[in-house]
Amino acid sequence: MDPDFAVPSSLDEAVRYLEHDGAVAVGGGTQVGLLLRQGLIEPSRLVWLGRVAGLREIQRDGDGSLLIGSAATLAEIAVSPLVRSAQPMVARAAALIGNPRVRVVGTIGGHLAHADPRQDLPPCLLVLAAEVRLLGRKGTRDVPLRAFFRGPFETAIQEGEVLIRVRIPASPEHTRGCYKRFTPGTSNDYPTVGVAAVAEIEDGTTRRAAVGLGGVAPRPLLVDLPQLAGRPLDATALNAAGQAAATACDPASDQRGSAGYKRAMVRLWTERALGACRP
Amino acid sequence: MRLAFLLNGEQFETEAPGSVLLLDLIRGCGLWGTREGCGVGVCGACTVLVDGDPVSSCIYLAGCALGTEVWTVEGVARREPDLVEAFIEHEGLQCGACTPGQLVMAAALRARGKDPGEAATREFLAGNLCRCTGYRSIVESVRATLGS
Repeated sequence: MDPDFAVPSSLDEAVRYLEHDGAVAVGGGTQVGLLLRQGLIEPSRLVWLGRVAGLREIQRDGDGSLLIGSAATLAEIAVSPLVRSAQPMVARAAALIGNPRVRVVGTIGGHLAHADPRQDLPPCLLVLAAEVRLLGRKGTRDVPLRAFFRGPFETAIQEGEVLIRVRIPASPEHTRGCYKRFTPGTSNDYPTVGVAAVAEIEDGTTRRAAVGLGGVAPRPLLVDLPQLAGRPLDATALNAAGQAAATACDPASDQRGSAGYKRAMVRLWTERALGACRP
Repeated sequence: MRLAFLLNGEQFETEAPGSVLLLDLIRGCGLWGTREGCGVGVCGACTVLVDGDPVSSCIYLAGCALGTEVWTVEGVARREPDLVEAFIEHEGLQCGACTPGQLVMAAALRARGKDPGEAATREFLAGNLCRCTGYRSIVESVRATLGS
């Protein structure tokens, strides 16, 4: 049985369509198309968000935070002057996903709602303390990204809800971020390890540091590094960070590497990504 | 659902589920130039243009094409025959399986209006796999169409 295909033009309409039992929201459809084709989902209705007015807008809020509508495509995020100036790490990571054909169709909302633990944006958005806004029949709720990912392909989105916006708060002054992905196969593959690092460094002293990890646990991980605060981000500190990240991760052996190899790569790429945050 | 869009410059209408893949819809119309390769959006053999952007039609829901302008390799070759000539002249193909996708990518890159340079051209084409040529002749073919 083919699912209905609903094309709402407003969020109100989208939510009404989603009340239908077995309805699934669709961003660009690159993942939903794959899942349908492989018979992994059997939705009764697809609710495509591509024609919802205003849902792909990228804006700067009054407090400096970045607001990205869930239907903004990965390609739009990669070239957005707002994203590039406010959170260059996010723009650069978006430009690395898949290939140009996927980026021009895939949306940030679909990327996050799909919740594949190997994706590139979740580690970046986790270290930047982003939150997502979910809209349902009862109204909206904001969920910090660290509480959003529940497991492989599982999120905090409940039946009838739709992800409508990502908010990335303005980073404190003297903060730098860097995302590095390690793809020993081909560059358009999912990364064996993805590491997003941020460090706030003032006068040579680290105030705050954290890394987000992709591909090395059932869900993307946030690793805070309080032990790095109050000291310079030197080789000893990077070593400690690499150790902490390697301890925190929980990789599985697969075609992208054994668990032990991935853990070693987490350590190495954490050191590299965090090291690149030094002014 | 009633699916209507411009296909290779002409109004196209059909009754089909919106969840049908654009690839299947197009090939069902007898436009067999668009190939199915990997079927998972990686190889680029099924590339078509939707509102000027290259997309993998094997993972593109036909419903998302509603009201857009779709160009397949047949339309692109008719509209821009010099692209085909460039691939012939520079021998940008061997077996031909990936060629429809490469041609559509060439059209998409040229439509951007300026030559991005060799490195960016290679990066743009990196998602279109070829198992024969080693890519050099493809890049040369595409490069030859830029600025013309």
